[in-house]
Amino acid sequence: MIDALFGNIIWMALITIGGVLISWSVHFVPVGGAPAAMAQATGIGTGTVQLAAGAGLTGLVSAGFMMNVTDNLPLILASGAVGAMIMIAVTMIVGTLVYVYGVGVVPSSAKVKVDPITKYRQDLYVSQGTEGHGLPTVSFVSGVIGGGLGGIGGSLVYYSLIEVGMSVGLERAGITNAVTGNPLVAVAAIFAIGIFFVNAVIPSYNIGGTIEGFHDPKFKKWPKAVVSSLIATILCAIVAVVAIAQLGGI
Amino acid sequence: MSAGGAGGEAKGGYPPQTIMALGIVGGLAGIYLGNFMPPAYSFFGGLGAICATVWGADAVRRVASYGLGTGVPSIGMLALGMGILASLFGLSIGGVAGPIVAFVVAAIIGGVIGALANKVIGMGIPIMEQAMVEIAGAGTLVILGLSVVIAGSFDFALVVQNVVANGYIALIFIIGGMGILHPFNASLGPDEKQDRTLMLAVEKGAIALIIAGFASSLHEGLMAAGLNMFVGIVIWYFAFSKHYALIKRDAYAVVGTGLLPSSEELQ
Repeated sequence: MIDALFGNIIWMALITIGGVLISWSVHFVPVGGAPAAMAQATGIGTGTVQLAAGAGLTGLVSAGFMMNVTDNLPLILASGAVGAMIMIAVTMIVGTLVYVYGVGVVPSSAKVKVDPITKYRQDLYVSQGTEGHGLPTVSFVSGVIGGGLGGIGGSLVYYSLIEVGMSVGLERAGITNAVTGNPLVAVAAIFAIGIFFVNAVIPSYNIGGTIEGFHDPKFKKWPKAVVSSLIATILCAIVAVVAIAQLGGI
Repeated sequence: MSAGGAGGEAKGGYPPQTIMALGIVGGLAGIYLGNFMPPAYSFFGGLGAICATVWGADAVRRVASYGLGTGVPSIGMLALGMGILASLFGLSIGGVAGPIVAFVVAAIIGGVIGALANKVIGMGIPIMEQAMVEIAGAGTLVILGLSVVIAGSFDFALVVQNVVANGYIALIFIIGGMGILHPFNASLGPDEKQDRTLMLAVEKGAIALIIAGFASSLHEGLMAAGLNMFVGIVIWYFAFSKHYALIKRDAYAVVGTGLLPSSEELQ
């Protein structure tokens, strides 16, 4: 057990970096929560965890797909990042279509007077009694950045867990019988999902409901969540590495 | 903001210690009975999972009453995220003491995350540390209980082969999380009552047992799977009837609205 920990210290460091990236990435995603579902706050109308998980798990799938053909880490990370960015971008485009043509509101931010990217005035278009609505350009760009970081973090965790398993002699690709599958891939994937959820919930408590993106004043709180995630992920990495190292013995 | 806003301490009903004892003792007893009895009795794991679900839902109820600032589902996902790591870790090194090791590890991870949430992030919920320990422990016991239903044992090799490698673990992740997060999420509000919330947790746990029983047909054969599902359906029926009765007790009035009017009647 101790040998497994010291032998895989580099992978544990990478898992921790991945967890920290996921935690940071959540702050970029424009989350509106329940108010946004009623077009009363800027952002996508669901919770942080659902959005981060949706994008991050897509990134995990696309990273895993890339691992079919190569074990080149930058390529796998890029694949994970692009998968998550596509997922979050599609979510935001469809959300914007619904807000603009369905609800009938102008995408506008209540946190800044002018959009930092397009320089368009925002405050004139915010409906009374709301905290903005829809997804202005800056939130969209921020969301895509968040998706990319989350995808990199998730695929880094997954890749590291697979490498830990391979260091104890398990196969990365192996038999794919219809129902039994590959134990290493399954355990690494579910651990990556577990670490992803832990690191998506911690920053969502830091944000406290809604955030518009990197221009939101709440974004400055990210160091707190990142420090918390760092400590929590180190614990998770120890647990995950030991469990996967034990897989080699069965 | 969402989720009922900032509230206070949850009130009324059974004290937390009673529910906690039910969850820990019932959960572990169910898991061990399901492991050591013949495969046909693996439904005991599901009974353990139901006890743990009730405990988890009660812990969520107590902590989410303070207002998490984000939706209640987040805490259920956190519970199962911690639980999945702790349970497989416990089984991998613990042998016959696996569930207990998993439970202790989950409590440590939960305690650390609870302390971080209060001390570093500054959520300021007085029972956060204790609630996180409880939620992580309950999530772990739910995963172990449902794994015992599917695999018939908590031996690490068998669980990996029959529950994890074929992807049933993802199913357990979501149905177990639903049982913990849904009862309070569905019942929250000023008229929330503990017995109604917890009865909903029993009902959700029973649905989890039915689904896990269905999944167990792959490994345990049709007879054991049928028994698992039968036990689940019986518990579900009683829990659902009781929950409906509690809804009628708490509602101001239950009235029938009739069917939708037909197009002729609308003219």
